[in-house]
Amino acid sequence: MTLEFAARAQLGDFSYDARFEAGNEIVVLFGHSGAGKSLTLQLIAGLLQPDEGRIAIGGEPVFDSESGLNLPPQTRRIGYVVQDLALFPHMTVAENVEFGMTGEGRERRLAEVLDLMHLGEFRDRKPRSLSGGQQQRAALARALAREASLLLLDEPFSALDESLRVELRRELIRLRSELDLSVIFVTHDLREAHLVADRLAVFDAGRLLQFDGRERVFRAPANRRVAELTGVANILRGRVAAARDGILTVEAGGASLRAPTPNGWRPGQGEAVDIAIRAERVNLRRLDADDPGQPNLVRGTIREELGYGATHTLRFESALGETVEVEIAARPYEVLGVAGQKSWTLELPPEDLHVMAVSSEAAGSSASATTA
Amino acid sequence: MTALRARAPQAGLALLIAVFAVFFVLPFAGLFERGIGGSGTWDAITSNTALDALALSLWTSAVALVIAVVAGTPVAYWLTHARFPGKGAVEALIDLPIVLPPTIAGVALLTAFGRKGLLGAPLDDWFGLTLGFSTVAVIMAQLFVGAPFYVRAARAGFASVDAQYERVAHTLGASRLRAFARIVLPLSWPSLAAGAALCWARALGELGATLIFAGNLQGETQTMPLAILSAFERADGLTAAVALAILLLAVALVALAAFWLLSTRGRGTV
Repeated sequence: MTLEFAARAQLGDFSYDARFEAGNEIVVLFGHSGAGKSLTLQLIAGLLQPDEGRIAIGGEPVFDSESGLNLPPQTRRIGYVVQDLALFPHMTVAENVEFGMTGEGRERRLAEVLDLMHLGEFRDRKPRSLSGGQQQRAALARALAREASLLLLDEPFSALDESLRVELRRELIRLRSELDLSVIFVTHDLREAHLVADRLAVFDAGRLLQFDGRERVFRAPANRRVAELTGVANILRGRVAAARDGILTVEAGGASLRAPTPNGWRPGQGEAVDIAIRAERVNLRRLDADDPGQPNLVRGTIREELGYGATHTLRFESALGETVEVEIAARPYEVLGVAGQKSWTLELPPEDLHVMAVSSEAAGSSASATTA
Repeated sequence: MTALRARAPQAGLALLIAVFAVFFVLPFAGLFERGIGGSGTWDAITSNTALDALALSLWTSAVALVIAVVAGTPVAYWLTHARFPGKGAVEALIDLPIVLPPTIAGVALLTAFGRKGLLGAPLDDWFGLTLGFSTVAVIMAQLFVGAPFYVRAARAGFASVDAQYERVAHTLGASRLRAFARIVLPLSWPSLAAGAALCWARALGELGATLIFAGNLQGETQTMPLAILSAFERADGLTAAVALAILLLAVALVALAAFWLLSTRGRGTV
């Protein structure tokens, strides 16, 4: 199963523009609320109509503004689980699941789906008598019973506590491979996105900023905004001093940083760039005489400290001119004796630095998404 | 705190409740006291006038109810979901007969559908069709005053059904009609039933509009309320009026009880 999606829409003040595709995988649509994630699902499902674009499910177009094609939701073969589940309250679990079934062997398939979702014993119960996790599974079962191979899930685990989330995520990953599904999964939870995504589509204010493999999005965000959205704590503004042998030298504040040249992009000398490094990638070193002047080593003083138990977040005032956030696990925190020492050398390893072009926020549209 | 506040005016409140209850119960007591005590009650109940009026009342109000439901349901559903300028005015217009004195409704109907009315005159001229002072006029009067109760309740019922259910039903392959029949109708059933009961009760009790627009002809336009009025206006007609009133009351109670049973059973499966 494949999904090809390209749509442009103007809804009042909100303008939407996105283009991506999905194969047999879990594509996570990630972004803050109001970024256009749920809207994307509604466009795929046919509950909303884009102004322009083309949507094809399994190679079959369901919307095409050029030819005027627009299939109604009931003829697009998708399984859609909305955020509030919307289980029909007057029907039992079995009746809910059966609602979208067609054709022969319904009784047998009903039993199969209920079994698959571990709902057999609840088949005659009304939704309101089920727990949150059971309701979630019932909604998923109802969507699966359509035998749709494209599944749209809108924040499906948002109402659940952590242990249920873990279980259902595992379930989803199992279903995806067992049933040969394409899954479009909406979430605003970064950890959840990381856990389930094969590929990640980062949305912001109606734009798809980056669409890429999960690791690529996290390691090589397309621009400053994607880096911010995906939880990169440190985004430094710098200027290219030299570019040689695949290594960039960037001046940031009073320090010099070396970083690999990003793929498919060759910044010129003197060009302004953004440099991203995650808080957990910055290393702490004890002050050392030969540190100053060495690339990727910067003096810093702790200005603020937050203890989370398993980790500590330290905010440094540094020679980079900007606050540098460092996340350090509890064990090294104790071994290094961070509690009793304010001044440190910060090491920003070249392989963990990601250099990005400076772009106006809005310019990070599908064009930069495809080059990323 | 709240318990204390609730207890303080207990004596006063009890008195108020008692007076209020007496005010509502006493008229019924009077009706039955007069009906059972008076001679000729049974004769009046079994008279041709009474039976004709009862039959007419029952079948005309039933027809009015069926029309109200068949036409009112789609209108109410459309009004719930449609967005257009002047929607508030349309809704107010539909609700208007609820607050309108029935005599005004009767006069209004006459000016529209009567022999010299807006539509009545051409109908009479071209087809020789007269609506006023016929059984059709009885049904029209009942529909006019009763249907708004149904439409109003249906609108509230449809609005209470989360639109998300219908949207999800569409994504599950359901057509609009199937989504309506399987989702909207069962979920709004209590409101629809209550609206239908109100509509029917209002049609059954219709007097003013019927009198003006349909007249008071035994067997043709004389419904039970009109028969009671006619009986009352005769010299020494109170006995017959009481008897007819008891008959209508009993029928209405039985019908509403049956209706209530049906609708709560419907709700049970919801």
